[in-house]
Amino acid sequence: MLDKIKSNFNTQTWVLIPIAIAINIAVGQIVLVLKLPVFLDSIGTVLVAVLCGPWAGALTGALSNVIWGIAIDPGALPWWPVAAMIGYMAGRMAGWGFFKSWWKVVVTGFVVALTAAIVSTPIAVYLFGGITASGSSFITAYLLQTGQGIWSAVVSTSFLTEPVDKITTAMIAFAIIQGLPKRTIGGYPKANQVATEGGASSTQLYIAIGVVVALVLFAAFMLRNILGG
Amino acid sequence: MHERLSFHIKRDSFLHSLNPLTKLVLTLALILIAFTFPYYWTPHILVLAAIIPLSLLGKVFREFSVTALRLIIPAAGFLFLMQAFFQPVGTDIIFKFYFLDMTMESVLFAFRNAMRVFVMVSAFTLFLVTTHPSELMSDLTRRGLPGQFAYVIISTLQILPQMQAKAQTIISAQRSRGLDTESSFLKRAGSLIPLIGPLVFGSLVEVEERAIAIEARGFTSKQVKTSLHEVPDTAFDQFLRWALLVFIIISIGLNLWLS
Repeated sequence: MLDKIKSNFNTQTWVLIPIAIAINIAVGQIVLVLKLPVFLDSIGTVLVAVLCGPWAGALTGALSNVIWGIAIDPGALPWWPVAAMIGYMAGRMAGWGFFKSWWKVVVTGFVVALTAAIVSTPIAVYLFGGITASGSSFITAYLLQTGQGIWSAVVSTSFLTEPVDKITTAMIAFAIIQGLPKRTIGGYPKANQVATEGGASSTQLYIAIGVVVALVLFAAFMLRNILGG
Repeated sequence: MHERLSFHIKRDSFLHSLNPLTKLVLTLALILIAFTFPYYWTPHILVLAAIIPLSLLGKVFREFSVTALRLIIPAAGFLFLMQAFFQPVGTDIIFKFYFLDMTMESVLFAFRNAMRVFVMVSAFTLFLVTTHPSELMSDLTRRGLPGQFAYVIISTLQILPQMQAKAQTIISAQRSRGLDTESSFLKRAGSLIPLIGPLVFGSLVEVEERAIAIEARGFTSKQVKTSLHEVPDTAFDQFLRWALLVFIIISIGLNLWLS
């Protein structure tokens, strides 16, 4: 166990982690400037998880939220287990070979999203009574008013909002790794995990983007049903 | 370029002279007690009886109040409004708006939660204002924290402002070349790639160079490193830490016992 954890960390990992944390935060802020309805605040975490392993990913996620909480928005602090779990799960999926082509990356993003939704629910319920300061709490609040239980209201909100964000995150991370020279990637502990099989074809990319668009439409449709009904 | 992200304000006060670990324990104690002690007015009392006196003791009351007014109170206030309206507890409706009801219970619930968040954030703010990050890290490394963790924290605090500046430069540069960052949704989503790309690739290429540089300075060496700067740790510090630990245990114990 300890050896497995240690195998995630070499000097390059330790150097990558601070940069990945800064990428998380800087990209999160670019997304705010563009006013897009996603967070994309875990691209760095996914990069570390995929290149170095689940434990390094978990550490990056946790530290990222702690530093975000200290430096920018203290409200981010209690969510560190979610960020850690995102890193861990992304690393595990990559270890199982699910970071080698576009459709596998979509699956990874989806699994990561489900994990994030499950881990964030108890925090939202116990710490904030279900209503956090984030915009998606409007959905939770509405579901609560319609008489749903607090757990199912929080979980359904996360299931609606998380997949689009996490799948996009995973796809951007994959595109970044594709764009890096092999020499740059070679020094990381799990460099072989991201060797693409049979080249990343553009058809696959279109299918992956199609999946994301379909999910966005589905979420929008569900939202309209919930808020209009 | 060499600006570091730090809230530290150099003053000569009792709070500044405490050992960093003591202050960290104090911060955690305030947060845990605010969240677990089973008495409704606990967080409110903590603000009046601990947070404000501590900021006076640390001679940072003025800076602290400015931060509280600008950042902490708006955040806590927003949380208060969200919860007061959206918590479906209680029946005694005092205010109604569309499908949202505000009841006496939900207001009380929201008030306590907002105060808990206020305690959490202000305790952390006080800690950061009175403790220099390098001092905290060198003290924790002396106590056995692996040097790699210290490296990650300190260098993130250094890289973050640089990265934010770089992001700002890239946004301005791409805008001046005509990149659309404010029209339709699809255009804005499309602008993501030319903004993220240069930022991420630019910083990932530096990694190997940095790795070689710190490796050459004995980063992974197992030898115990000596420190030029000794952080004092008095008997009073140790006493304070144990006392705070006892408070934390009592608070969590009462919470479990009464629930």
